[in-house]
Amino acid sequence: MMFLCATLSILLSLASVSWAVEPDVIPLLDSTNPAMLQEATRVLEEEIKLAARPQTYMLIDLAANAILIKGRGVELHRSPIESWSASDLSQLATLYRLRERPPVNRRKIDPAAGAEQDPISLADMPTTFTLQFSPPLTILVLSSTVGNPWQWTLQRGQLWWRRLASWGNILRTGDTSPSPPSLDLTVASDHAQSLAWTVTEGMPVLIRRPTLP
Amino acid sequence: MTRVLLSLWSGLIGLFCVTLVQSSDLPISSVSISRPAAVDPILLHTLQAHYTMLAKQLTQLMPTQPYILVDTARNHLYVKRKDQVLLDALASTGSGTILDKPGDSKGQWIFDTPRGEFTVQSRLTHPVWVKPDWAFIEEGLKVPKSPADRLEPGVLGEYALGFGKGYFIHGTLYTRLLGKNVTHGCVRLNDDDLKSVYRLAKVGTPIMIF
Repeated sequence: MMFLCATLSILLSLASVSWAVEPDVIPLLDSTNPAMLQEATRVLEEEIKLAARPQTYMLIDLAANAILIKGRGVELHRSPIESWSASDLSQLATLYRLRERPPVNRRKIDPAAGAEQDPISLADMPTTFTLQFSPPLTILVLSSTVGNPWQWTLQRGQLWWRRLASWGNILRTGDTSPSPPSLDLTVASDHAQSLAWTVTEGMPVLIRRPTLP
Repeated sequence: MTRVLLSLWSGLIGLFCVTLVQSSDLPISSVSISRPAAVDPILLHTLQAHYTMLAKQLTQLMPTQPYILVDTARNHLYVKRKDQVLLDALASTGSGTILDKPGDSKGQWIFDTPRGEFTVQSRLTHPVWVKPDWAFIEEGLKVPKSPADRLEPGVLGEYALGFGKGYFIHGTLYTRLLGKNVTHGCVRLNDDDLKSVYRLAKVGTPIMIF
């Protein structure tokens, strides 16, 4: 009996962790859905404030499965989200600012070298990285592992290691207070690199949450 | 004995997994915010009207005149009017490299194209490059004392659009490097595209760079 319970628990936990929203399952905006309208309105209210200033900002649209770079309300760039998961969606209803860009290994120019030196390019950007925001939010950007079982295994390992570390921390410190929210986004590797390239320190970020259809 | 050990082991694994899933900081997959069962038509109408008003408000903030869009990751410059692309040009943008400032242990130049929103502040014809300190240091040369020794005509093309802090959209002699991140922060174009941008942009035209 206990073995059955354990097996079921394992299956349930794996299913809940690996399940993610499929693109286009949820309509972009169902105007007959009050919850969706309220969420879209909340995001619009925040976006109007951001679009009124000369700046670029990011909108993570979990309802449309896309990461949008915007300025003045204009969509400048769109990266499709392949899948995502969040620790607690209810906490994601605020404006965040990126604390720092993902680390980039910049090349130093050597005046003595004389010859042309390689610049950095999109290919130098990381495909998996973490973005830290203020107020506290952690976004883990993962690149798609479709057709790459080794990368899939590595990513799963990293995810589980992160969870184990967090669990160990709770056991060690006894601190069960709620942790800051986290969001995991899986995108194509070129889109992950593009995002690492584009984000800037202090960049405002809004998250639009989905509603049940 | 084996059964007891097996039960104990499976129980531990089960407890571990349940704890992992229930722990507050664990990514529980995409749970959507809930939708109420019954919909109040008055509330719905109010929400729809408010949403429409806000959507209109956002649209009014969008540029109505042509604007310049620079994609530094893919080295492209676009001139757009609303959704219409008026020009799609291959460009060169910042290399992202760094150069140490001599005599300043912590000082560095970072050759990035700035990201964000800017405006065209100046429109120049036949611009002359006033070489900054880094241009000499990068080549291993001594920084000249006379301003006249900094002038270099003919390298920026026929036009230049300034967008602040010494950054320009200008021409280049190195057209083979278009499409690559090779500049010190400026945006380079070939002669034809530069001419088109110069014609389409006025002082005040927005430049959005990402």
